[in-house]
Amino acid sequence: MNNAELDSILKRARLPAIPEESLALFPRRIVGQLKRPSLPAPRRRNFWPRLAWAGSLVACLILAFAMGHWHGRTQTEAVLANNSLANLKLIRETMAMFPQRVRAIVQDDQGLKLVLSDNADVPVSAPLYIHICDGKHCSSVVTFSGQEILMAGQKVTVLEDASGGIILEGNKFIWSSTERVRADGAWKIQVKNLGLTAM
Amino acid sequence: MARMGSDDESRLIEQSLSGDPEAYAVLVNTYQTMIRNLAFRMTGSLDDAEELAQDAFLRGYQQLGSFRGGAKFSTWLCRIAMNLSLDWRRRESRRDHIHSQWAADVVPESSPNGFPDELSRKVQTALDRLPVKQRAAIVLTVYENQSHAEAAKTLGCTEATVSWRVFAARRKLKQLLKDLPHE
Repeated sequence: MNNAELDSILKRARLPAIPEESLALFPRRIVGQLKRPSLPAPRRRNFWPRLAWAGSLVACLILAFAMGHWHGRTQTEAVLANNSLANLKLIRETMAMFPQRVRAIVQDDQGLKLVLSDNADVPVSAPLYIHICDGKHCSSVVTFSGQEILMAGQKVTVLEDASGGIILEGNKFIWSSTERVRADGAWKIQVKNLGLTAM
Repeated sequence: MARMGSDDESRLIEQSLSGDPEAYAVLVNTYQTMIRNLAFRMTGSLDDAEELAQDAFLRGYQQLGSFRGGAKFSTWLCRIAMNLSLDWRRRESRRDHIHSQWAADVVPESSPNGFPDELSRKVQTALDRLPVKQRAAIVLTVYENQSHAEAAKTLGCTEATVSWRVFAARRKLKQLLKDLPHE
């Protein structure tokens, strides 16, 4: 069973009907509770103390992010340095040559390959660099969020989250660049959001 | 659920903030089915769902001052109801642990609980068997059609955590529901 078939089963499941009488009485019951003198009325909130806290928190987070980003960048750039896919000019020109048709640019033991869609239907988004080693073989790919690619013999769906992090979802594993969620123990994965660098 | 324009909704929220419970009753009437359905998916019981929905609307009224219109009112309410559901599940888990034998005796597994068909009952039984956080992730993304980013906001965790919970939940559900016919 695949995800779409599971979703179809889940969505076909209906709920027991809520009795009409209950639906009609429910708002009145809430109003009855609200009119009790013991229940405090809603208050408009004063945001200034919260704003001060939020400001301090954001400053700390920016500092932590900058330090973490610098550390992560040095690691991934070491991999990129030995890789044709490090050539951002090549990626940019390939994308310009086949607008919205480039699904992936793959580099593995057999060389560099271009995976194109038949139609110009690849959504415009930031290119994502992924490098996977399974212990025996390594492959690198530049692809885009939402694309399903074949890496180290597995189908992997590549997703970009709202903060620019990269999530890889295979049939038997999930991996995220922003969080230490499960990955296949034998795999070594390095990623980089090329949309966050100057293209 | 009757559709309501955002201007009407904003006006009703303003009136509720000025201490008009009747205005809030209109909002309750609009969103009660959505909130009660969400609570049912999380609890598996109509009575518990009704009680949770009532608590969610009462808490929503008290916290209305903190609603700033950045998110949709329905998403904001959904977040309150989901948090209450998660608290409820934690309490229930503790109680079930203490009374597990007693509960097994009095609640037969074949209890129909008013489901319209067998598939619906089996799906809810499978949802009930998921860990509560995985169930919440499925309820929000599959039934409430929230993106992983929206569900992350509702649950107060990262998008990657939601993706992981959805992934793990799907794996279990596929196993639990493998005998059901699928399209």
